[in-house]
Amino acid sequence: MTRCLVVDDDAEIRRSLDEYLQKFSVTVSAAADGREMRRLMATQVFDVVVLDLMLPDENGLTLCQWIQQHHPSVPVIMLTAHGDPISRVLGLEMGADDYLAKPFEPRELVARIHAIRRRARRGEHEAQTRREFRFEGWAFDRLLRQLVSPRQVVVPLSSAEFRMLSALVERPGRVLSREQLIELTRAPGVEVNDRSVDLTISRLRQKLGDSPKEPRLIRTMRGEGYLFDAQVQT
Amino acid sequence: MKRLAVAVRGGFARAFGDTLARRIFLLLWVTLVAAQALAIGAVTWSRGDPYALRMHGAPSLPPLPGLVRGPRGPGPGPGPGQDAGPGPASERQGPGPGPQGLGVDADLRDVPLPGDVPMPPREGFRGPGPSQGQASPPPWRGPFRALTGWELTLDYGIRLLVTGLAAWIASRWLSRPMRDLVRASRALGESLHKQERLPLLDEQRGTLEVRESAQVFNAMARQLRRQFNERGLMVAAISHDLRTPLTRLRMRLETLDIDELQRQRSVEDIREMNALVDAVMELFRGDGPGAAEALVDVDVGALAQALTDDLVEQSMPVRFEGGDAPVLAKGQPMALRRVLGNLIGNAIRYGDSAEVRVGRDAQGVWLRVTDPGPGIPADKLEAVFDPFYRLEDSRNRHTGGAGLGLYIARELTLRQRGSLVLSNRPEGGLMAELRLTPATPA
Repeated sequence: MTRCLVVDDDAEIRRSLDEYLQKFSVTVSAAADGREMRRLMATQVFDVVVLDLMLPDENGLTLCQWIQQHHPSVPVIMLTAHGDPISRVLGLEMGADDYLAKPFEPRELVARIHAIRRRARRGEHEAQTRREFRFEGWAFDRLLRQLVSPRQVVVPLSSAEFRMLSALVERPGRVLSREQLIELTRAPGVEVNDRSVDLTISRLRQKLGDSPKEPRLIRTMRGEGYLFDAQVQT
Repeated sequence: MKRLAVAVRGGFARAFGDTLARRIFLLLWVTLVAAQALAIGAVTWSRGDPYALRMHGAPSLPPLPGLVRGPRGPGPGPGPGQDAGPGPASERQGPGPGPQGLGVDADLRDVPLPGDVPMPPREGFRGPGPSQGQASPPPWRGPFRALTGWELTLDYGIRLLVTGLAAWIASRWLSRPMRDLVRASRALGESLHKQERLPLLDEQRGTLEVRESAQVFNAMARQLRRQFNERGLMVAAISHDLRTPLTRLRMRLETLDIDELQRQRSVEDIREMNALVDAVMELFRGDGPGAAEALVDVDVGALAQALTDDLVEQSMPVRFEGGDAPVLAKGQPMALRRVLGNLIGNAIRYGDSAEVRVGRDAQGVWLRVTDPGPGIPADKLEAVFDPFYRLEDSRNRHTGGAGLGLYIARELTLRQRGSLVLSNRPEGGLMAELRLTPATPA
């Protein structure tokens, strides 16, 4: 069972989330504002907090920082009605582990909660939630789904390229087989297969200016798979 | 009574205060007097002849040609003075116009009048050459002495210089308030969008008219800022408040016991409403408090490729035709995604499939989205950019949308200093062309 604390000022959203998440073996406690959230967190242990950005008494960002300071092991999923990238950036920089725009797909929330739990159990808390990765002069912004070249040119990525590059930069220097990459880049409603993996890799090489004949960054390991060969920094 | 007093005071200030009229008057007057005085002063000084200064400005008129000719007597042709060998006048005048030329008044002053008592021949004229004569100190020749070529040049030069300089300074000086106003007006739109400091004018400096315009302009700018902020905040608030009920609705659909098809349709409606809220938020993001997206170098080829790939992944009929070389333009990546996404969406919705091309020419970078659909009547090609405008045949369709898509797309494009136009292709179907400024070469 996953213990989840929902902080939202809307009573019906709290109640319906409680009802809905129970079906996916998530027990829900609910708080209507920041004060109640602090009170509950002082007496109970939670695996994940689902926090609304706009609360009547306190800003969700301040609460997010408070959780980071006092309960650093509890991951936070930020919910917000401001769908723009700026508040998304703010939310993640203030220490939220994930972000979901209202109105969200209920299934998506369940998927995020489970993913965060899995990562926490595997101790991957850090790498997965990092917003930006740097390698060889390139910057990979996972929030805006784009690459910034060493010459400061923005190179937008497709969803498939984004998922593929995420999988690669999180595991630099490791050979990843096609089967592993299919598993890592799976997304709902999309068919990923050997052919699409190869296509996405070649697109990424093109965008990264990596020669297809002698690739340096994304190397082909014959018969084994692909290897991301670069020093990755945050 | 009071109003009259105010009017009188206003009229007084206009007549005697620091008005534009007074500035122009002063400027012209000072310039002309200064040019006159300087030219005369310089010429006199170069002659070292204090008397000439006194006489130069004297009210006596130079003798008119008619008067000169008068006492010459009835005989036509050259006067007696000229008969006796080479006339002294022609010798002295050199290659200039002869005594009969009468072109320049100044020349006449030196011409010996035929009826006069013949002047005793001077030393210089008897000498072997005219150079000797010029070397001798000029004798007194009455108040109207000709200016030599050099003095004339000096005189005209100084006048031209002084009036030219004054005109240049004055034009800068008098037009400065206008230029300030133009600059401020130009900066106003930008600063309203970017929430920067307003480009206010100095209300304390300049003429009465300038100070008045500055006050009016500043009041207008502040009013605009207030309305912009209010509009942005209001739209943000409405959008935000719409999302909470949409979230409730979405959650309710999960727990309600309804037909699956109905549920899916409702989910689709919620998604559409949210997309509209998204679009409006994006449009007003720059207006309300909160930073607008920065203008950066974007590989628009990669952008078009990425958007197309995403749609192809969802089995949408989109094709991207482009080279491998990056096509760089100045733009806002997120806004560009929305604009291009909207154009491709329209092409699929109304033309059943979309083809995206990217390239550059002498005018800049272009992105073209074409479809094989029915196109748009030529007289409606611009109207479709108006907010809430919808073509007749799209109104009945479920997929018609709110009619904000193209309006928002063009707004976002203009903000990136680009342009967006629609045209019907000769081979059929619609073409949307998005043009952007090329990126600065590295």
